[in-house]
Amino acid sequence: MSEPVVAEAAAPPTVSAEAPGNPPTPAKKDSKDTKPAEDGAPKKLSGAELKKLKQAEKQAKRAQAKAAGPPTVQQGGPSKENQKKKEQKQPQQKDDNSRPLPVRRRPSQSNVVPQLQTKKDSKRSQKELGLFFGHLYSQPRQHSMVGASKDAHPAVLALGLQYSSYAICGSTARMVAMLLAFKAVIESYQTPPGTSLARHLTNHHLSPQIDYLRSCRPLSISMGNAIRWLKDIIIKIDPSTPEAEAKRDLAEEIDMFIRERVTAAQKLIRDQALTKILPGDVILTYASSSIVEQTLLQAHKAGVPFTVIVVDSKPLFEGKTLARKLANQGINVRYYLITGASHAVKDASKVFLGAHAMMSNGRLYSRVGTALVSMLARAHSLPVIVLCESVKFTEKVALDSIVGNEVAPADEILSETERSALLPLEPHLPPTHPAKTKDDDKTAAEGTKFGSLDVLKWIEGSENLHHLQVLYDVTPAEYINMVITEYGSLPPSSVPVVHRLSTNT
Amino acid sequence: MAQGITPLAPGLTSFLKSLKSTPADPSVEHLISLLKRRQIRNSRPCAIATTALMLRVVGEFKGRDAAKLVERIRQVGRRLTAAQPREVVVGNIVRRVLGLVREVLDDNTGGDSYAGSDAGHNTPSQHDSMTRPTLHSSISTFSPLRHAATELMDASMTSDMSDSSELSRRPPLLTSHTSYAPTSSAPLVNSLFGLFSQPADSNASTPTGQASPDGKTAQSLNLERLADLSRSSNIDLKGEVMDGIRELQDELDQSDEQIASVALEHIHSNEIILTHTASTTVQKFLLSAAKKRKFTVVHAETYPHDNAATHGILLTGRKRETRLDEDEDPWKPLTSVGIPVYVIPDSHVFAIMSRVNKVILATHTVLANGGLVAAAGAHMIAKAAKEHQTPVVVLSGVYKLSPVYPFDIDELIEYGDAGMVVPYEDGEFVDKVDVEHPLYDYVPADLVDLYITNLGGHAPSYLYRIVADHYRTEDITL
Repeated sequence: MSEPVVAEAAAPPTVSAEAPGNPPTPAKKDSKDTKPAEDGAPKKLSGAELKKLKQAEKQAKRAQAKAAGPPTVQQGGPSKENQKKKEQKQPQQKDDNSRPLPVRRRPSQSNVVPQLQTKKDSKRSQKELGLFFGHLYSQPRQHSMVGASKDAHPAVLALGLQYSSYAICGSTARMVAMLLAFKAVIESYQTPPGTSLARHLTNHHLSPQIDYLRSCRPLSISMGNAIRWLKDIIIKIDPSTPEAEAKRDLAEEIDMFIRERVTAAQKLIRDQALTKILPGDVILTYASSSIVEQTLLQAHKAGVPFTVIVVDSKPLFEGKTLARKLANQGINVRYYLITGASHAVKDASKVFLGAHAMMSNGRLYSRVGTALVSMLARAHSLPVIVLCESVKFTEKVALDSIVGNEVAPADEILSETERSALLPLEPHLPPTHPAKTKDDDKTAAEGTKFGSLDVLKWIEGSENLHHLQVLYDVTPAEYINMVITEYGSLPPSSVPVVHRLSTNT
Repeated sequence: MAQGITPLAPGLTSFLKSLKSTPADPSVEHLISLLKRRQIRNSRPCAIATTALMLRVVGEFKGRDAAKLVERIRQVGRRLTAAQPREVVVGNIVRRVLGLVREVLDDNTGGDSYAGSDAGHNTPSQHDSMTRPTLHSSISTFSPLRHAATELMDASMTSDMSDSSELSRRPPLLTSHTSYAPTSSAPLVNSLFGLFSQPADSNASTPTGQASPDGKTAQSLNLERLADLSRSSNIDLKGEVMDGIRELQDELDQSDEQIASVALEHIHSNEIILTHTASTTVQKFLLSAAKKRKFTVVHAETYPHDNAATHGILLTGRKRETRLDEDEDPWKPLTSVGIPVYVIPDSHVFAIMSRVNKVILATHTVLANGGLVAAAGAHMIAKAAKEHQTPVVVLSGVYKLSPVYPFDIDELIEYGDAGMVVPYEDGEFVDKVDVEHPLYDYVPADLVDLYITNLGGHAPSYLYRIVADHYRTEDITL
């Protein structure tokens, strides 16, 4: 199972080679901005006009330098290319991988990434998240490997991009991919003279990798757990063991961890959850969870007649992938968006949910919207069953979804088609709108053609209009009837006990 | 929704324009086809179109026979509601107009017992509502939705009959309420509504002597009254009814402003208010509060059926459909008056709810039991608010208030284009998976804390009273 992932993770060095070729893009954008000035200048230039032109050029240059300044600015090219590469690779990967990693992509990602805006955005997003999520990190997400630490391993660089583009999504998949990448990191690691592997590896070699991954997308709970575990066993390595042996041991340990805590755990959970699916059941699930998917497929293979309702939400539309997979296997699937959730629960008989993490106070931390679905299910007295490997249990507690969460880029809310649907609104923008006045200059230069990016500019332009998006929410423990883990089926109140069990042994 | 964008596309504007030059009957056909094709949709456009059509129908009505006018309106109403049973507002307006006719009738024949009431229903007095025959529980068995189709057949069968036969068809309904029969005569299906209204009635009505003072049966009284009216030529029945309809049009125009005028009583400063979909009523309400107070709005975008309108209303301050006929009344988007608006996807409602102070919902139809039908997602928002003990306020013009009881909720729910959920380009997916796209949610009364109509604020449990004020029992079934 590990082979294809490693192969994929190892492939992208070619991409990194391409990365330096990228910077021209922002420059092009800038030149467009200066165009009006050039156009305005007639062929015979008077002295004053010449001066003006020069000034404009200077300004443009300055702006260019500014835009190119922070490394995070250039993000369009490489991630895009990388994504394309991945797309080509994916079908093949799906075939020979027994447990395919969920593939989800940002639907909103436009063909042209608004590069000039990024800097402004970062400032602005701080302001606009202020009310609800101002306390959460607000640095923009890393979409490229430009500016990554030179210590970052190519496999990790590739993985980071897959994280930030949601190509690898879902906490188990992210954890497994990370461990496999770390295996590659450890394999190519050489202890510098004068230090021991146990001392040097964690602090000086693994930390930059983790930092890079974190800059691409905040670490999931499961990743945190796995990193803690990995650091623990590295430190415990006897300094006297030869390096080659230690590295082999570590690789084995990682494989074992994945086998025990993920593969075997999922099998146990699957088998247990299977017994909960009775003939004629209508299983409702929200978004997409690999373990729920496996359970449903297994139940279908076992010949239990049941139907599935998939409730989904924008912007990731993860449920679509799940619904497609289930339907391809011949399961009867109905598909709702979250707005129709109250209709969906009426017909359901059980609710199966995946988890991002289980909090120690019994609350479920999962894809945003899960709380709504479980609330509605409870109102209809449906059993809500959470399938969760114990590696996702955490000692953290949460009361609401606001204290701890992951903020996603706000421009992902509007997909490409939605933006273009808004384009006809242009003439009706209030005359006071800043974008309107700005647009006026532009329309003079470019004619009345608007791209979908303009819609984003309008939104950014209207001073008090903010788009807000987070990735998770917290479901109260009282909505959850049962948590199925590899240790058995428990009430949510037993989560801290299991967490202690699984970390102490 | 897309049809309403260009001025040439058939829709409310084109209908109103053509109404000026077309006679009533083709206009009825026109509206029916527009309703059927969903080229006029949503409560307000439907209400405006129906009122305009009613004005035309009454205006073209020849003769002085009140019973004939009532029958004519009913017949048009039946056909309109059958064309689009889920636009309950159409039926509401027809019932209001019927109520107007009966009111005029009562004023001129019944005389003093209705002295307190006037043709316009905008300000129902307490006295008015107490003496007016209340709805009794039998309405609960009639749902215009369920029976719309059969009644249409009914109508076509009886349309060639004379007035008297029409009247003789109705008596059971009339006797049961005008005579104030004791509870024993009421049908066994007693709703909560009926339980409350019955005793209150017997107390209030006995002294007024409204019920058949000269010992005649209610039926004959009613017949005589109608006959009286048709004989006495000094009443301008048509004119008075048309005046009433114009008042109804004014009410439609002003209801948003009237609702907005109480905004300051409900929004305090620094509140965080959650709302969803694009609703002019809600936007005007918030705008009016924004004149004096600072607060924050969280707006769920109602994907996939209303998100374009939602973003539109936030960017430009108006819905695209209403733009054409409301040009003379420009209003700014909420953001331009300094109110921060946070747009969130619908899935975030629960996550954000712990910070929200108040939920303000727009509605499609309000039902007589205090429940409401609103854009999909409203139920989960209201439910999440309940879980967080956040008050839910529903804004609705009285014209959206319907005497319909939601016995079969699914009847009221419209399903929309599945292609908006998953585009048809994704043929494989659409082929294999059942994609569903409900447009409306039913929100039960217990999830709502307050209704604000153009008459003021009401508890959901009081709505039946307002229904009784605005609709006549005879007209509950069209």
